[in-house]
Amino acid sequence: MINGNLKSSYGSDERIVNNGYKQAFVYGSFLCLAAFALFANDYMILIACQVGILLVAVVGINILTGYTGLISLGHGAFVAIGAYAVTILHNAMDGIVPDALTALIAIPVAVTITALIGIIVGLPSLRVKGLYLAVATLAASFIVIFIVENETFAGYTGGVVGINTPVPNLLGWELDTKREMFIFISVSAVLALLAGQNLFRTRVGRAFIAIRDRDYSAEILGISLLRYKLMSFALSAAYCGMAGALFAYFYARILPEQFELELSLELIAAVIVGGMGRTLGPLFGVILIVLVPELIKVTASVVTNGDTASTRIIAPLQEIIFGLLLIFFLLKEPLGINHIVDRLIRAANRWPFARG
Amino acid sequence: MGQFLQFAINGLMSGAIYALIAVGIVSVYKATKVVNFAHGYLIMFGAYFYFTFAVIVPQAAWAPAWLASWQPDWLVAAKADAPMFSPLGAVLDWVSNLPRIILGISGAVIANALLGRLVERTLMRPLMGQSIFAMIMVTVGLISILSGASSIIWTADAAFVPHIAPNTPVRFSIGDTMIFLFGADLVNMVIALLLFGGIVLWVRYTKSGIAIRATAEDQSTAYSMGISVPKVFSRAWVLACTTGAIAGAILATRNGVSPTLGLFGFSVLAIVLLGGLDSYVGVFIAAMSVGVLEAMTQWKLGGEWAEIVPYVAVLLVLLVRPHGLMGSKEVERI
Repeated sequence: MINGNLKSSYGSDERIVNNGYKQAFVYGSFLCLAAFALFANDYMILIACQVGILLVAVVGINILTGYTGLISLGHGAFVAIGAYAVTILHNAMDGIVPDALTALIAIPVAVTITALIGIIVGLPSLRVKGLYLAVATLAASFIVIFIVENETFAGYTGGVVGINTPVPNLLGWELDTKREMFIFISVSAVLALLAGQNLFRTRVGRAFIAIRDRDYSAEILGISLLRYKLMSFALSAAYCGMAGALFAYFYARILPEQFELELSLELIAAVIVGGMGRTLGPLFGVILIVLVPELIKVTASVVTNGDTASTRIIAPLQEIIFGLLLIFFLLKEPLGINHIVDRLIRAANRWPFARG
Repeated sequence: MGQFLQFAINGLMSGAIYALIAVGIVSVYKATKVVNFAHGYLIMFGAYFYFTFAVIVPQAAWAPAWLASWQPDWLVAAKADAPMFSPLGAVLDWVSNLPRIILGISGAVIANALLGRLVERTLMRPLMGQSIFAMIMVTVGLISILSGASSIIWTADAAFVPHIAPNTPVRFSIGDTMIFLFGADLVNMVIALLLFGGIVLWVRYTKSGIAIRATAEDQSTAYSMGISVPKVFSRAWVLACTTGAIAGAILATRNGVSPTLGLFGFSVLAIVLLGGLDSYVGVFIAAMSVGVLEAMTQWKLGGEWAEIVPYVAVLLVLLVRPHGLMGSKEVERI
C-alpha cells in the first residue's frame, strides 16, 4: 500500500491497524461476520466454524514457523491436548463450580497446560534446528496421541473410541447451537489474529523475527535463544490449545484420530499456502485448505449424482489435491496467497500506471 | 535368560529390516541433502506393487497357470511323499510359489524404480538449490499424494501375499534355552543385511558411489570435476526406491499389505536421525538397537508400547547428541 500512509504522530504510526485502508478492512470484516452470523445457512455456518477453529491454530503455527523460523510437524498434538484438557477439566468441575463459570475457567487452564507442554516439546529446539526439529516435534506428537489412545489413561481420555464433550456456558449464555458457537469462534479467531498482529510490534515479536533471520546473529545482539525459542513454542502451543478447546466445544465428541498426522500437516500446509510470516497468511491458507476439499465433495456429488461406488474415491482425491496444492505453492509461489493478494492490491493501487 | 535371547533375536531381525529401509533415506540424503519424509509411502507402494505382481497378476484370467502355482511332475511327486507339516513340505510349497515370488519382486523393484525416477524428475529436480524447508515440505506433500493415490489404485486391505522364503519353523538351542524362529524371517534378515552391506560397499568403492560421495561433499566442485550431479540425484532416488521395494515386499509378508505401512517410514526416519543422517554405520547401530529395544518393550510392557520406542529414543538422543550418534556436525557461518 503506497498511499494513505500520512502519519502526524508516533502514536498513529504505532497502532495495530495503522492506516485508513486497513481500518476500513478490519471494521468491514466485523460487519461481514455479524451479517454472516445472522443470515448464513447452517451448512455455511458449519464450514465457517471449521475455518475459525483451524485459523486460531494456524495463527499459532505462523508465530512458530513463519516468524521464528522453527519447523514443527507435530502441532496437531497441541490441538489434541487443548481439546482433551478442556473436556477433562470441564467434566471434573461439573457440579463443583457453577455452570456459568466452568467454561471460563476450563479454557484458560487448558490453554496454560498446553503452553507448558509446548515448552517441554520445544526443549529440543535449543539443540537442533530445521529438519531435526521437524522430526523431534513429529515424534512428540506421535507420543502424545499414543498416550491419549492408551488404555492406561482411557478412564480420562476415553481411549480410541473418544469422549463426549460438554456444552459450554459463558456466564449463563449456553452455546448449544452451531450458530451461537460460530459467534464465540469468530470472536476468538478475530482476537487471535489481532493479538498475533500486535505481537510483532513488541520486543518479543521482533526478537522472534531476529531469530528467524539468523539465530546466531540474534544471540550476538543479546537475544536469549533459550528464552525466546521456548516462548515462541509456548505461544504457538497456547494458540493451538485454544483451537483445541474450541474444537472440543464445537463438536459433540472428540476422537484421537482427528488429531493425528493429517491435522498437523494441514496446519503447516495452511501456513505455507497462505504465506509464512504474514498476518493474513493463515486466513487465506485456512480458507483454501477447508474450502477445496468441500468443493471437491460438492462437485463430485453433482457429477456422479451421489453414486456410492464413486464416493469411495472422494477422500483419496481430496488427499491428492491437498498434496498437489502444497507442492504447487512451494514450487511456484513460495510466498503464498498473501503475496498474490499483495500484487493485486499494488496493481489496483497504481492503476493505470505500471503494474508490478 | 531364555526369553531374553529369544526377544533379542526377534529384535535383531526387525532391526535388519529397519536398516534396509533406513539405507534409502540415508542414500537420498547423502546425495541430494533432501530428507525424504515420504519414504515410508514409497515403501508402501513397493508393498502394493509386490502384491500386484505376486497375487493379482498371477490370478488374472490371462495369466498362465504355472505362474499362480507351479506344479511340475517331480514337484507333485515330492509333495505327495513329504510328511504333513514338515520343513520339507514348507520348502516344496515355496517352490510352487517361486514363479510368482520372482515376478512379484522383480515387478516391484522395476515399478518402484520408475516411480522414484518420476518423483525425482518432477518434484525434486526443480528444487535443486532451494531451501531445506521447501524440500522437506515437498516430500511432506508427496505423502498425501502417494497415500491418496494408493487408496484409489488398490482397494484391498491387509491382503495376504506369499512369503519370500520357505516359512519353516526353525528350532535350535543356545546353551540350555530353546530358540524358536521362522525360516522366512531369517532369510529376510539375511537379504536385508546383504543389501545393506552391498550398498555401503558400492558407495565406498565403485565409481558411481564415489560420485555420490563427491556430490555430498560439495555439489559445485563435483560438477566442475565432470560429475553429472542430476544423474547422481536420480541414481540415489532409484537406489532408495529399489531397496524400498524389497523392504516393502518383506514388510508385506510380515504384516500384510495395508495403508498403515506408510506410517512405518516415520519410525525409520526417527531411527535415521538417531544414528546420524549421513552415517551408514551409525544408522545400522541405531536400527539394530531400536529393533532390540522394541522387542524388549514388547516383552515387558506389551505390543502397543513398542510403537513409540523409536520416537522416545530419538527425542532422548537428540537432547544429548543433536546430530545423532555418529552424524557429522554441520558447520555454520554467520
